[in-house]
Amino acid sequence: MSYTELQVTTNFSFLRGASHPDELINQAAAFGYKEIAITDRNSFAGLVRAHAATKEKDIRIIPACRLDLSDGYSLLAYPTNKNAYSQLSALLTGGNLRTEKGQCLLYKADVYRHAIDMKFIVVPPAMLNNSFHFEPAFEQMLKEYKDVFGKELYIAASRRYYGDDNKQLYRLSQLAEQLQIPLVATNDVHYHTAKRRQLQDVLTCIREKCTIHTAGFRLHPNAERYLKAKEEMLRLFRQYPDAIKRTQEIAEACRFSLNELKYEYPEELTAEGRTPLEELTYLTWQGATQCFGDQVPENTINIIRHELDFIEKMNYANYFLTVHDIVRFARSQNILCQGRGSAANSTICYCLGITSIDPVKFDLLFERFISSARNEPPDIDVDFEHERREEVIQYIYDKYGRDRAAIVATVTQQHQKGALRDVAKAMGISVDTINRLTNSMWDSIAEWVNEKQIAEQGLDLKDKHLRKTLQLTRQYMGFPRQLGQHTGGFVITKGKLSDLCPILNARMENRTCIEWNKDDIDALGFLKVDVLALGMLTCIRKAFELAKKHYCKAYTLANIPQDDPAVYEMICHADTIGVFQIESRAQQSMLPRLKPRCFYDLVIEVAIVRPGPIQGDMVHPYLRRRNNEEKVEYPSDELKEILERTLGVPLFQEQAMKIAIVAAEFTPAEADELRRSMATFKLQGMVTKFEKKLIDGMMKRGYSYEYAHRVFKQLEGFGSYGFPESHAASFALLVYVSSWLKCYYPDAFACALLNSMPMGFYQPAQIVIDAKKHGVEVRPADINHSTWDNLLEQLNGKYCAIRLGFRQVKGLREEDMQVLVTGRKNTFACIRELLNLGLSKTTLEKLADADAFRSIGLDRRRALWEISACNDQPVGIFKGQTSADPAEEKVILPHMSEAEHVIRDYKAISLSLKAHPVSFVREKLELLHIVPTQQLSVMHDGDKVKVAGLVTIRQRPGTAEGVCFVTIEDETGIANLVVFPNIFETFRKELLQASLFMAEGKLQVEGEVIHVIVQRCYDLSPLIQNLTATKEKSSRLMPLSRADESISSANAVAKRKQKITREESLFPRGRNFR
Amino acid sequence: MQKRFLTIWFRYLKTDWLTRRRPALVHTPFVLAAPDHGRMIITAVNIPAQKQGINRDMVLADARAIYPSLQYMEDKQEPSGKLLQTIAAWCIRYSPWVVADPPDGLILDITGCTHLWGGETTYLTSIINRFKLMGYTVRTGIADTIGASWAIARFGKDNFIVETGQQEQALLDLPASALRLSPEIIERLHKLGLRETGSFIHMPRSALRRRFGEELLQRIDQALGNKEEITVPVLQPEPWQERLPCLEPITTRTGIEIALQRLLESLCKRLQLQQKGLRVACFKCYRIDGKTQQIETGTNRGSYKVSHLFKLFELKLDTIEPDLGIELFVLEASKVEDAPATQENLWEGTCGLADIKFSELIDRIEGKIGAGHIHRYLPDEHYWPERSVKPAVTLHEKITMAWNTDRPRPVQLLSIPEPIQVTAPIPDYPPMNFRYKQKLHTVKKADGPERIEAEWWLQEGQHRDYYVVEDAEGQRYWLFRSGHYEEGHEWFIHGFFA
Repeated sequence: MSYTELQVTTNFSFLRGASHPDELINQAAAFGYKEIAITDRNSFAGLVRAHAATKEKDIRIIPACRLDLSDGYSLLAYPTNKNAYSQLSALLTGGNLRTEKGQCLLYKADVYRHAIDMKFIVVPPAMLNNSFHFEPAFEQMLKEYKDVFGKELYIAASRRYYGDDNKQLYRLSQLAEQLQIPLVATNDVHYHTAKRRQLQDVLTCIREKCTIHTAGFRLHPNAERYLKAKEEMLRLFRQYPDAIKRTQEIAEACRFSLNELKYEYPEELTAEGRTPLEELTYLTWQGATQCFGDQVPENTINIIRHELDFIEKMNYANYFLTVHDIVRFARSQNILCQGRGSAANSTICYCLGITSIDPVKFDLLFERFISSARNEPPDIDVDFEHERREEVIQYIYDKYGRDRAAIVATVTQQHQKGALRDVAKAMGISVDTINRLTNSMWDSIAEWVNEKQIAEQGLDLKDKHLRKTLQLTRQYMGFPRQLGQHTGGFVITKGKLSDLCPILNARMENRTCIEWNKDDIDALGFLKVDVLALGMLTCIRKAFELAKKHYCKAYTLANIPQDDPAVYEMICHADTIGVFQIESRAQQSMLPRLKPRCFYDLVIEVAIVRPGPIQGDMVHPYLRRRNNEEKVEYPSDELKEILERTLGVPLFQEQAMKIAIVAAEFTPAEADELRRSMATFKLQGMVTKFEKKLIDGMMKRGYSYEYAHRVFKQLEGFGSYGFPESHAASFALLVYVSSWLKCYYPDAFACALLNSMPMGFYQPAQIVIDAKKHGVEVRPADINHSTWDNLLEQLNGKYCAIRLGFRQVKGLREEDMQVLVTGRKNTFACIRELLNLGLSKTTLEKLADADAFRSIGLDRRRALWEISACNDQPVGIFKGQTSADPAEEKVILPHMSEAEHVIRDYKAISLSLKAHPVSFVREKLELLHIVPTQQLSVMHDGDKVKVAGLVTIRQRPGTAEGVCFVTIEDETGIANLVVFPNIFETFRKELLQASLFMAEGKLQVEGEVIHVIVQRCYDLSPLIQNLTATKEKSSRLMPLSRADESISSANAVAKRKQKITREESLFPRGRNFR
Repeated sequence: MQKRFLTIWFRYLKTDWLTRRRPALVHTPFVLAAPDHGRMIITAVNIPAQKQGINRDMVLADARAIYPSLQYMEDKQEPSGKLLQTIAAWCIRYSPWVVADPPDGLILDITGCTHLWGGETTYLTSIINRFKLMGYTVRTGIADTIGASWAIARFGKDNFIVETGQQEQALLDLPASALRLSPEIIERLHKLGLRETGSFIHMPRSALRRRFGEELLQRIDQALGNKEEITVPVLQPEPWQERLPCLEPITTRTGIEIALQRLLESLCKRLQLQQKGLRVACFKCYRIDGKTQQIETGTNRGSYKVSHLFKLFELKLDTIEPDLGIELFVLEASKVEDAPATQENLWEGTCGLADIKFSELIDRIEGKIGAGHIHRYLPDEHYWPERSVKPAVTLHEKITMAWNTDRPRPVQLLSIPEPIQVTAPIPDYPPMNFRYKQKLHTVKKADGPERIEAEWWLQEGQHRDYYVVEDAEGQRYWLFRSGHYEEGHEWFIHGFFA
């Protein structure tokens, strides 16, 4: 006699199950189970994981579900065939969609409607009542269920060691007899081994928001809900052998497997009765003529034929059509988009307009990205303008309907910090101890906390409770926490999507998603289309529009002149503020070394400044080889083919994977698994297994350990920030386009960039300064000239002038400014007119703060003086009389210095067109022998130097071992500072706090790349703060210099403090990046 | 008489207070922080932390980035108000009219007080020194008006005394915020370049009113003394204490009884008025030889019933030795609780815990046999039998959960299970017989097992399988096997059923 466990809760029943699906499957397989049901609560989320775990094992899962009903006893539902599965999925979908995310509201009537071909087990209440009977309500409900489900209904009988098991089973068997509902044995499994009971208790506490000490009876009294061996189950149910036999009956009946789910593409994309392949062929050739003219080159024809053959063989025509359809829609709405991903760089995609990179020209061969051997689905991600992606998403929902299209889920996992926080809270550890613990962890994906770090926080590791907490945290890490929404992965099906998988509401309005994530749908062979958002596309589109309006040039991504040497020249000089991808500090210092001269160089540039190559130490070898300082060699001939394009240094993800295949004899599937494991399974410590296999494999084939280790390191880097060549190529195009715009239309580019904020690396101030440096005039926001967006005005010299828009002014609302702009018939002559438009006083004050009244002859102070009196208007019989006291006119406001204006500018619009704040203290800085940043370029390597400026960016990348990169700005330009960790610790306060920052250090000049290696730091903020202070009347009130400052004179402190809180927030605080 | 006001400003009120309680913190930079919109915002900074450049209103995370080993505590908003009240009450020794000025200031009307100290200067020095000794950093100011003294304390010269009528002069150089204005007005004044009080105080009133509203004018008037300011002083709470001095020393028991009776009557009257009940009381007798005799008693329920309390004290009166005589009796209630007056019942003796007679009985029994002999148990949420009941702290401690009745539990539970010898078939059948206290019991009927796992967060250990068994004589017992049958296990008896 055999037994099948029919009631299994995995950890996808969040905060209930305490084992991963694969742990349960492995344990079941070890016990010799042939099948096991997965019954998560109102969810299918764990099914695919469990299904995937059964591969290559002699066990199968029965996809099922525990239905917790709002008006009845819980039912376990087992679909016997695909139709029933779809019914169940539709049932859950219904329950999900009628409530908010994370909940599922089901009624018994719903179940009755979807009961065909389904077997049910009813879960009896845990307790008998005082007279040792089940509640009458339960018997009542049983009768009702029996009437509806007939012979498909069973009662679950479990032995939970509650003391009255025998009584319960006896009563159940009586009921079963009486109502003719057979008993079936289950063990209500919550974990794969009894040891997990502790974690399950903690999960219960997290769920119930209590601590382990207060949880009381919310916990289970014992650890009996583990997966028991078959023999043990037979023994426990020796008096009810039929209940065991019935498990087999149900298992036999439920032969449905997830493998039967067939994903089918939507079909409505073809026209005139063509098959999908015919349609694709038709569209491709049509596109080819558009792209290449009537005379399509012979070579291209061959490539297209070849690709079409391949697509036919793999049956991917529908996929390309789906993507094409989405792109076509975007085009029709003038939404800029650009495809990337393994299949996006095909000639077909070029012809279909999915990408604007001509793969023939750039020698990006289709096969390099996609191979039939790996049999992985093609991958096309399409980037859209970030401001308008929602339109595309809603188009997809509209076109296919919510029952056929949905966003893929992302299962967010418990990371170290979160897991520790949750577990520690449940264990009743105090908040400040928790903070100490989590503070001792830096990186959420780094290795487990070491004992030293914890000891440093003053915590005692010998403490049993703490040790237990850490041990449970470790088990809890990697548990699924909730279902989120993928950034834009869509699954679209031919039939109802809910037939395949339950759909649920996402947290965002108007979004629906499915319960499975990208790995799950990969495992089942579903295809997804990624609809992603990219800010730079918004910027490029806006720049194109400006170019059209002011220069009458109609540009698209495809018709930008290619290979323009002037553009590359600009890039080589790292003049790339605002440009896509290559604007960061690291990129800017790489550019003069790499000197990109052609498109493929840009592809490399994009890929090289990435954690993968940096961690794998691939950057410097590449640079040396490129500059002919090192001979180009290949570890072996077999690798030459792979590495030739990158001078023997692996830079792209594909290359690293191919090395694993060729040199370490991984199968393509293994290589792919390896890459995935870096990202997905990192938390479960699978990585070491692969590390050994890769390094051993490579060393067996004669590679050095160092080389093998480097390849592995690089793979590891790719795991978290994968950058395959195909993606780099697509990005490189945007790099080129944005550089081209910056080179030829710096006015339009800067204006578009400002209008697309927030995005990129820099703040408006830097973009404006950069535009001015390129000869673009920038004019201040003004009530008579500005609109909400930044504008280009008439041609002034070579370029149009930029007129700052109201969007730059802090605190203004777009609606108010629309009122202002529409009300601006002629020019405004006085404040009263604005007030009459219905603008509020606060709005006007905001405008005054931004000094936007200059065109009517008022500076900000006078304007504010006028505005603040505006509310007081003579009404009724006094109308028409002047409200002001004649004496008032005599009031003379204190004069506002230029410096004060600049600082007020910064406060209102985060930048100033009048002057740079540092310029006002230049004289003082000179006395301190501080040089303007501009001068650094004429100094020599190794010179001692002092520079000062506003901190614009601080960056401490994870790859740089604690080195901090700081960028400061003065009126002449910027300086790049490098701060090593020991200096950082010493001068932490100055680095993080100073608004005017001074650094003393050594100059490091390497060609055009200039760095200051910081040795000492100073906070010169008081210099700037003094700018706003008026000439104080008595010396007593002058802020004391720092040296004089003593705490006893609380007076001065209070005063200083007040001043600091007042001025400190004036400048945008430098942005911090990791 | 010209009014004079003193403002005391506690610059580091909360941190000083904490340092007073934990002197180790004196030289440690630490801050208090409170959550605000999901971030921790610093609400108070001590001097060492301020030296590190940490200020109020900073985000805690930023401050810790600047100074990583910064200590911080969560700011429990409540105590500060109470603290200020306490200090205000203490200040009554300097002036009968003290106003708490939250969050961190006091205002004293010192009109006619200072001559007792020999003038304003010595008066001020005395106050400052007293606070310094207590560990509080204070800044002060004295002037004709509250507004001016407030401004001087916070923004003026250290501990400055503004001569009568000189407040306008004193204010001119101070920043606008010295006038106690709302942040919006100050912000606007700054934008207009009007930083010092002097730059606008003489502007036409109508011009100011149109732009800044009534508030600014009112504050100016208050500071200059053109308008009176009305405030409410703090009241000192009276302690629950009654005193009875005697002209002639008392030496007899009757005399002591009369004294006790009188003190109880007046104290209970006060208690009843405020709806309080006495829980712990101390009766002190001060003898003429300078020694003190005292007896203490407690109740299980707040009481203001003289006769009952008297009975309780009466049990202990014998211990008082009047010796040469007692000159002063003091009755002090060190613990009182709310005792709302209840409507009297038509029929007395409702039984149960609510019955006052019942609690009084317990008080009397405890008074005789000593406290700690009468227990009350409440159910507790634990599966582990030893922990499933807990002693109640008070008589009327509310039951937090219903008694669990869904599992059989013995009437008498042994506090420590006793080992027994059994004959039991494996794996998890009940025993056939067991030997307890040299007597062999044959098991006739049995139920179980009920498996209870050890509460792993409190103790390690094996689970127990409990059985309810009945022997041949019809007696029922609660037995358990500790541990799994396969491994080393032991049997115990843990209780008896009725």
